[in-house]
Amino acid sequence: MLLRLDDVRRHFGGVHAVDGVSLDVEQGSIQGLIGPNGAGKTTLVNVITGYTRFQSGQAWLESDELSGLPAHRIAGLGIARTFQNIRLFKDLTALENVLIGMHVRRRDDTLAQLGTLPVFRGDEQERIKDAYALLESVGLPSSVGPRHAATLPYGDQRRLEIARALALRPRLLILDEPAAGMNPSEKQGMRELIERLNADGLTILLIDHDMRLVMGVCRRVAVLNFGKKIADGTPKEVSTDPTVIKAYLGTGGEREVRSAPGATGVDEEREVEQAAGSSPAAREPEKAILDVEDLTVSYGAIVAVRGVSFRVAAGEIVALIGANGAGKSTILNTLSGLIRPESGTATFDGLDLANAKASEIVKRGLVQVPEGREILARQSVMENLELATWARRDGATTRRRIEDVLKRFPILGERRDLSAGSLSGGEQQMLAIARGLLARPRLLLLDEPSLGLAPQMVDEVFRAVEEIHKDGTTILLVEQNALRALAIADRAYVIETGRILLSGSGDDLLHNPAVRRAYLGG
Amino acid sequence: MDFFIQLFSDPIGFWNSHTLLISQIGINGIVATSMFLVLYSGQLSLAAPGFMAIGAYTSVLMELYWHTPVVLNVAVAVILAGIVGLLVGLPVLRLRGVFLAIATIGFVEALRLGVILNVPITGEGLGLQHEADPLGGVPIILVSLVMVVFVVWRLTKGRLGSAWSAIRQDEIAALSQGIHVARYKMIAFILSALIASYAGALEAHLNFFVDPGDSQYGVTRAVQILTFAVLGGTGFVIGPVVGALIVTLLPYIFEGAGDYINIIAGIFLIAVIIFRPQGIVGRGGLAIVRPAWWPRSRARAPSPG
Repeated sequence: MLLRLDDVRRHFGGVHAVDGVSLDVEQGSIQGLIGPNGAGKTTLVNVITGYTRFQSGQAWLESDELSGLPAHRIAGLGIARTFQNIRLFKDLTALENVLIGMHVRRRDDTLAQLGTLPVFRGDEQERIKDAYALLESVGLPSSVGPRHAATLPYGDQRRLEIARALALRPRLLILDEPAAGMNPSEKQGMRELIERLNADGLTILLIDHDMRLVMGVCRRVAVLNFGKKIADGTPKEVSTDPTVIKAYLGTGGEREVRSAPGATGVDEEREVEQAAGSSPAAREPEKAILDVEDLTVSYGAIVAVRGVSFRVAAGEIVALIGANGAGKSTILNTLSGLIRPESGTATFDGLDLANAKASEIVKRGLVQVPEGREILARQSVMENLELATWARRDGATTRRRIEDVLKRFPILGERRDLSAGSLSGGEQQMLAIARGLLARPRLLLLDEPSLGLAPQMVDEVFRAVEEIHKDGTTILLVEQNALRALAIADRAYVIETGRILLSGSGDDLLHNPAVRRAYLGG
Repeated sequence: MDFFIQLFSDPIGFWNSHTLLISQIGINGIVATSMFLVLYSGQLSLAAPGFMAIGAYTSVLMELYWHTPVVLNVAVAVILAGIVGLLVGLPVLRLRGVFLAIATIGFVEALRLGVILNVPITGEGLGLQHEADPLGGVPIILVSLVMVVFVVWRLTKGRLGSAWSAIRQDEIAALSQGIHVARYKMIAFILSALIASYAGALEAHLNFFVDPGDSQYGVTRAVQILTFAVLGGTGFVIGPVVGALIVTLLPYIFEGAGDYINIIAGIFLIAVIIFRPQGIVGRGGLAIVRPAWWPRSRARAPSPG
């Protein structure tokens, strides 16, 4: 065993981010680590690499004990890592980034620098040569060397980060979502790179949301959920494990896990093809309150949404479902005017959303409850709600409006004077929704309302969503918890890497195995 | 204007009639380099005036009371500043950004109000009058400036400098490359304390008087030193020195402005910060500043994360 974890635990307050995980990574293997959003994968990596302290448990890299060591020592022992949100030295050149990676094995030259002895010139030439070789080994041409890291295209930045990690000459390389935000061909390139590095003898711990990538390159995959390891095995074993499917697709409230699409998995391939081919396209409503045509959105070089079209009629609940990074939140952010589309149109009640100001869009009645809730943690519940209405002049109406909203969420009424940060995750989500309601939405955009919530809380949040809908608010819902979203949605669209893969009524999709495929890969 | 005319028409006369000004530029340049060092390692430390005070008072007091040779006095002053730097750095360097700035200002003010203005030996509010040897005058100061700049420049090119660069850009990423972040920050902090203390000792000997005022060893001085670095730019060692040169010369550059000198100097500084955010010495040209109401062609989406 190269890396051995024994009952590693890390709690943040009441959140059990990593809750007794044991894991073995074999020398020379590619070990996958997957899990839904908030499962504790990154926390586990941070514990292994010394960024977050061990609470209890132990870890060894071969015979070296890791617990209690600071991050730079662990790096020195030979665990290199990349970061989920690329952390290059942005204002330095690509070459300098790799050279810094050689820090540990570079001889101290402080005094020699003062004398500028020629001895070091040779040394430096050697290192520069090494650095260029490393750039080449991750597929970056030497012309990239003198360019500033920040100016490189996104995919190249990912590769540069790997080159920098390799400069440590690691025994174990931990890749934290190396393919996040990449298009299919870039992902293919990343997959080839990972396989090539492994073929050269490097042990890799791979964390990614892209199941196709993880299932494709890993010999073993461990699955985390709510900080616990729920499965560990070959990709095939893991992807058909009912616990894993439940963790990814969520639960449909009273529905049984059994009904998870494709969970029985008789002859999956054919089943999927049939389903995908015969899938009834959702009947698009004639009179739409929201009309999205061929919407394309990019972040610099990354195309997050590619030619998406859909409609929402007044009074509907429409769900956009799909795995992490599929582009769902980007669509919502574009609709509420936070991001501008590259091409395509979006109209809400006659208003051109591609060009209208975000404030105009809210005034027209399109209100977004953002992912991650974004409440003001130090302010009280009441203050959070009052701030949402500060632009209004008539105090009495506002007050009445707040009381109305609190009646719908009695638990918030009880806690009106508590600071919002002290509420549980579910209550915070309700506060975020309540705040959205104060803007008198006609179309409410909900972004991942169940994110990071325990199952009972998810039930409660969804009950609230259904009630709001009954009162006449149209809802566009973005969810990872597909089964739950499909259970309440009139219609739904399955999004994968920025495209609409399938659409249909909530019920149709609930029984469609292609949905599972979109999440867990094939 | 007369000032600059004389500089070119009669350089020798200029040199002789402005020794104090030239010395002050040299000393400010040394302090600016000490500031560069902490900023280069990603630390917004404003502790320099405190270390200057240590340098000034230690060297002058030794001279007044023990009559030891000036070289020894300065050496002791510099070493003492290094020790104080270590003691102050241990708790304070855990802080980052503006919190570090506030904590170091706390150190500066505690030293000035709590020690210098309270201990009889320092002359308290009256300062210290002395008739020490002016330490060789202008040539020594300018040679010191060149040496300090050279040493710091070479250090930034070595292993130490690459670690500082990494820490400045991203501490977390630096840790992942095996860089002992806390140690390298401490090295930079102590080196900058040594340099500031040396500048303080030179300055005290230049003036025959150690002035405990705020503009000498207090927040005002700290802000002035920070201005050297921001104005000159921190991309290159020479940047803050150029900043020090310009700031020290401002009263002469805007000689004709009379009472409005401070307003005009302020506008000049703001203009530099808007149009050359990277500082006067740095890569690239003038920043293009587009007012918010200016029509834009096509909005680009922000990058994710």
